[in-house]
Amino acid sequence: MAQILDIITTAAILYVVCAGLLIVFGVMKIINFAHGGFLTVGGYSALLVTKMGWHPWWGIPVSFAIGCVCGMVIERLVVRPLYARPLDAILATWGLGIIIGQLITLGFGREVQFVQSPVRGAIDFAGASYSQYRLILVGAAIVLGLALSAALNGTRLGLQTRAVIMNENLARGLGINSGLVRFITFTLGAGLASLAGALITPLSSVDPNLGVPWLVGAFMLVMVSGMSLVSLAIACLVLGGAQVLVSTYGNPVLGGLTIVVLAALLLRLRPQGFARE
Amino acid sequence: MNDAPAAAAAVGVNAVTPRPRSDARLVLGLAAAALVLVAIGPYLLPDFLINNLIRGFLYAAVALTVDILWGYTGILTFGQSAFFGIGAYAAGLSFTHLGFGLGIAAFALVGGIAVAALVALVIGWLAFYHGASPLYASVITLVLPIIVAQILYSGGTFTGSSSGLSGFESFDLSLQIWFWIAGVFLVVLTSAAWLFVRSDAGRVLIAIRENEPRCEYLGINVSRLKIVLMVVCAIVAAVAGYAFACVQMVIAPEYAGFVFGTELVIWVALGGRGTLIGPVIGTLLIDTSTAYLSGSLPFIWKLVVGLAFVIVIVALPRGFAPLIGRVFRPRRAEADARGEVPMLRASAKPARTDRESAQTRALDLNAVTKHFGSLRVLDGIELQADHGELLSLVGPNGAGKTTLIRCVSDGGERSSGSVRVNGHDIERRAPYQCVAYGVGRKFQNANTFDALSVAQSLRIARSRLQRPSLWSRAATLALPEGALKVMQATGLDRMLGVEVRHLAHGQKQALELAMVLAMEPSVVLLDEPTAGLTRPERQLIGSVLVELTQQQRLCIVLVEHDLDFVREISSRVVVLHQGRIVLDGTVAQVVESELVRTIYSGGSAMSGAHA
Amino acid sequence: MTGNALQLNRVSSGYGEALVVRDVNLSVAAGEIFVLLGKNGMGKSTLLKTIMGFLPAGGSIKLFGDEITRAAPHRIARKAIAYAPQEQALFQDLSVEQNLRLALLDAGAFQSGLDRIGAYFPFIPQRLKQRAGTLSGGEQKMLLVARALMSRPRLMLIDEISEGLQPSVIEKLAGVFRAERAQTKTAILLVEQHVRFALAVADRYAVLKLGEIVERGDVGEQDAAAHIIDHLSV
Repeated sequence: MAQILDIITTAAILYVVCAGLLIVFGVMKIINFAHGGFLTVGGYSALLVTKMGWHPWWGIPVSFAIGCVCGMVIERLVVRPLYARPLDAILATWGLGIIIGQLITLGFGREVQFVQSPVRGAIDFAGASYSQYRLILVGAAIVLGLALSAALNGTRLGLQTRAVIMNENLARGLGINSGLVRFITFTLGAGLASLAGALITPLSSVDPNLGVPWLVGAFMLVMVSGMSLVSLAIACLVLGGAQVLVSTYGNPVLGGLTIVVLAALLLRLRPQGFARE
Repeated sequence: MNDAPAAAAAVGVNAVTPRPRSDARLVLGLAAAALVLVAIGPYLLPDFLINNLIRGFLYAAVALTVDILWGYTGILTFGQSAFFGIGAYAAGLSFTHLGFGLGIAAFALVGGIAVAALVALVIGWLAFYHGASPLYASVITLVLPIIVAQILYSGGTFTGSSSGLSGFESFDLSLQIWFWIAGVFLVVLTSAAWLFVRSDAGRVLIAIRENEPRCEYLGINVSRLKIVLMVVCAIVAAVAGYAFACVQMVIAPEYAGFVFGTELVIWVALGGRGTLIGPVIGTLLIDTSTAYLSGSLPFIWKLVVGLAFVIVIVALPRGFAPLIGRVFRPRRAEADARGEVPMLRASAKPARTDRESAQTRALDLNAVTKHFGSLRVLDGIELQADHGELLSLVGPNGAGKTTLIRCVSDGGERSSGSVRVNGHDIERRAPYQCVAYGVGRKFQNANTFDALSVAQSLRIARSRLQRPSLWSRAATLALPEGALKVMQATGLDRMLGVEVRHLAHGQKQALELAMVLAMEPSVVLLDEPTAGLTRPERQLIGSVLVELTQQQRLCIVLVEHDLDFVREISSRVVVLHQGRIVLDGTVAQVVESELVRTIYSGGSAMSGAHA
Repeated sequence: MTGNALQLNRVSSGYGEALVVRDVNLSVAAGEIFVLLGKNGMGKSTLLKTIMGFLPAGGSIKLFGDEITRAAPHRIARKAIAYAPQEQALFQDLSVEQNLRLALLDAGAFQSGLDRIGAYFPFIPQRLKQRAGTLSGGEQKMLLVARALMSRPRLMLIDEISEGLQPSVIEKLAGVFRAERAQTKTAILLVEQHVRFALAVADRYAVLKLGEIVERGDVGEQDAAAHIIDHLSV
C-alpha cells in the first residue's frame, strides 16, 4: 500500500514540477532551462513568507506572483529574440538559471534553509500511516491538471493558445496575436514553475541550487510527453513509478537515473514518446 | 561524342598541376610562437598561476572538442565533461587500486581511451540515427554526464563517492614540466584542429551544420561521420582528463558532471564558437579569472559570467572573438579571394559501371504507394524510365509529384511497393545509399550551403568520389562535363570564391544543379529546377539538360509547373493527378489530350461540363 | 462605399531571394469580385500571402486607403480581412464551433454570425460539436467559407476554394459569393484555376504568369474566356 502511495505521490510531485515547462514547450517549442531557476525562486518565495511570519499557505499566491513577474521580464528581454534558434534558447535560459541562482545566493546566502510546512504529520490512509503533505500534493496536482485543462479548453485565450500550438500562421491570419499568446504562456509557465518550487520545498529544504536536480528529470518527462497534459500525467506515473520501484528494489542511485535513461531510450525507439501520434 | 577536353580548355587547364594548399606554414609559425610562450612561461609566472594554467590548458583542450562538435558541426553537446571524467577516473582508479607504475600508467591511459571511445560509439548510435532531431542529440549528450556522475557517486569506496579520489601516487614531475606537457599538448591539438577545419574534409563539418539533408543527398553518410567525430573528440577529452588526474592527484565526480559540461559550452560561446582560437583563449581567461576572483568576489563573478553568457547568446551568437577578429578581417578576406580559389578542370571520364544502361532500366517503380494516415498521396505508381530519356512529371498541386521524387531518392519514404534504380532495389535504404546507386536529386528551392563558397560546395558534392584531404586544400577542382557546362553557361565558373549566400537566386539554382551533376549520377531527379528563374536562364538550363540526356545518356526526371518549358525539352511526359498516373506519352499526345486540358482548367469533377 | 477595398502598387515578393511576384498592380473595388487566374506556381497564392503580411513585400499595399505594407498578419487580419488559405486552412482537431469562434474578435457576435452562415450552409449550426477534420472535403471547404463570413469582412481573400470539389458544391459557393456581395458590399479577391467557376462569379479578372500580370479585363467582355483559356492551356 505504501508503495502505491509512493508511486502516486511521486508522480503528483513530478507533474506539478513539469506542468510549467510543458506549457512553455508546447506553445513556444523551446526548452526553458531557466525552469530550475524558477523552481528556486518559488522555494525562496515560500521561505520569505515563512520569515515574514505569514501563514505558510500564503506561499502559494506569493510564489506564483513572483514567478509571473520574473517570466514577463525574461520573455521580453531574453526569450523573444530566440524563437527561431531553439538550441540557443536552451543555452540562454540555462544562463538565466545561473543568474537567478547567483542573485539568490547574494540575497539569501548559500546555506540550506528550511521552510515551514503548512501541514505536518502523518495521517492514516487505507490502513497505513502516510505523510499528510504528500497526499495534499496529489490533490494539488489534480487541481492543477484540471485547472489547466479547463483554461485551455474552456476560455477564449485557451482556444487561441491551442490554435497557435496547432498552426501558428493560420492563427495569425485570423487576427490572433501570437506574440501576445507566447508572452502570456511564458509568464504562466514561469508562475507555475515558481508555484511548484513553493509546493515542493516543505518536503526538503531550500538552497540556491534547489531547482537544478529537478530540471533534467522534468525536461526528459516533457520531451516524452509531446504537448499534452494527459500524456504528461501518464509519463509521470509510468516513469515516476519506475523510479520508485527501482529505488526500492534496486538501489537509490539507479532510481535517480531511471527517468532520464528510460526517457532517452523511449525517445530513440518511439520519437513521439507517450503522445498519441 | 566527347568534348570534355574542349570544356577543360575553356576554363584554362594548364599542363602543370598546382600543389595542394594548406595553412601549414601559417599554423607552424603561430604554433612556434605559442610554444615559445609555453617554454618561457614557467620562468616568468608565479607558481599559483602556473598551476592554474596547467588546468586551463587541459580544459581548453576539451573546449576545443566542444567547438568542433558544436561550433563547426552544429551538435550542441553537454557531454564532453563525461569523457574528461572517464579519462580522469581511469588514471585515479588505476593508481589508487593498482598502485603507480609506468606499465599501469600506460594501461590506465589505454583503458581510459578505450572506455571513452566505446561510450562515444554508444552515444553516437543513440543520438545520430537517420532522422534524429538536433534536440534529441543534445538530450542524449545531456543524459550522459548525469549517468556517469551518478555511477561515480554510487561507487562507494571504489570510486570514493562524492569526495572522489585523492592521495594516489602519480608521475613524479615538477609543476614546470607539467606546464610544458600540457602546453605542448594544447598547442599541437589546436594546430591539428586548425589544419583539419580549414582542409577540404573540414568543410564537410560546416556543410553538415548548414544543411544536413543536402549532405545526405550528396552521398555523404552523415550519421557515421558524426559518430566518428564524436569518438575522436571523446578520446581527446579523455586524454585531457587523464593528464588532469595525473597533475592534480585529486578527482571528483563533478569533473564528469553535467554542470561542468555546460561550463565548457559557456566558455566556447564566450570565446566565439566556430573559431577554435576563441574558445581556447576564452577558456584560459575565464578559468584563470575565476581562480583569482572567486576568492575576492565569489558570487558576483559567477553572476557576471552568467550575464555575459546570456548577452552573448542573445546578441552576439559568434562570441567576442569575431569582434576582435574584425580588425584583421578585410586583409584576410582579400587573401582568401586570391589564394583560396582552386583551378577548375574536367574530371577523368568516369569508368561507368552503371553504364549497364543497355541492359538495365534506369528507373523501375512497382506499385509505389505513399499514404499519410488515411490520405493516399501516391496510389500504385507503375513507372519505368530508360537512360537517354528526359521525362517530365506534371500535374496540379498536390498531385504527388514531389512525393514521388522523394520515394525514389529515399528508401524510407514510400509506404509500399518497390523502387529499382539501375537494377538495384533501394529497399529501405537512406538517401546517401541511393546516391551510391546513381541517384542525384535537386530540391525544389535552391538547397545549398550558405556559408561555403561555390568551389567548396562543389568539392563537397565530389567528396563521395574524391576523398577530401584531412589537412590541406586541393589546388584543383575536377568536375564532370555536365557540371562544368552548367557552371560556364551561368557564369558560375568565374565566381568560385564567392560565398553562396551572396549569389542571386538563379545562380543558387544553377549551383545546386551543378552540385548534383558533380556526383556523376545516372538518374537525375530535378524538382522545379527553374522556379524563380528568368526566361533566358530557363532556356540555358533546358538546353544543358537536353544535351546531358542525349550525349551522356542520363535519365532525367523533371518536375515542372511551366508547361511551355516541359514542351520544349521533354522526350516523354507523365501526368500525375490525385496520386495516380493518368497519362504517359509523348509531348504531342499530352498537349492534345482533352483530359489534361480539363485537369488544368478546372479539375476532373467538371470534366463533363467542360466547354 | 466608394474607393478601392484593396490597392496594390508595384508589389513584389517571394521567398528569400527568389522573387515569385513581380511588380503587380491591382485594385479591387468595394462590392466587387475580382478573380486572379493562373497555372500552378505562377505566384497567385504567394500574392495572397503577401497581402496578409506573411511575406515581406516591396511596393505598396493599401486596404481601404490605409497603408498595410509590412504590417504584422494579425493586425492586417483585424482590419476586417478574411483570408481562406488553400492548404491547412482549418484547425482539424478543433470542433466546427471552435473554428468559427477563432475568426471572431468579439465573442458576442457568435450567435448572429452563426444565423447568417446558417442561412447559406444549414448543416453547420447542426454539427457545431463535430471535429472539423472529420467533415467531408466539400464540407470543410464550406466551413472555410463560413468562417471567412463569420466576421462580416469588408474584404475576403479566397485561395482556390474550388479545388477538388463536386460541381454542385462549386455552384453553391458561387451562389454564396454572389449573394454576399449583393447584401453586404464586401469585396472578394479569388485565386482560381477553375475558369468556369471564376467567370461565373467574378466582375473582373487578371491572369498571372511567372509572377507578372499578363492579361486583364472585364468578365463581361465577349472573348474573355477565350483569352484566359489561351493562357492556361498546355
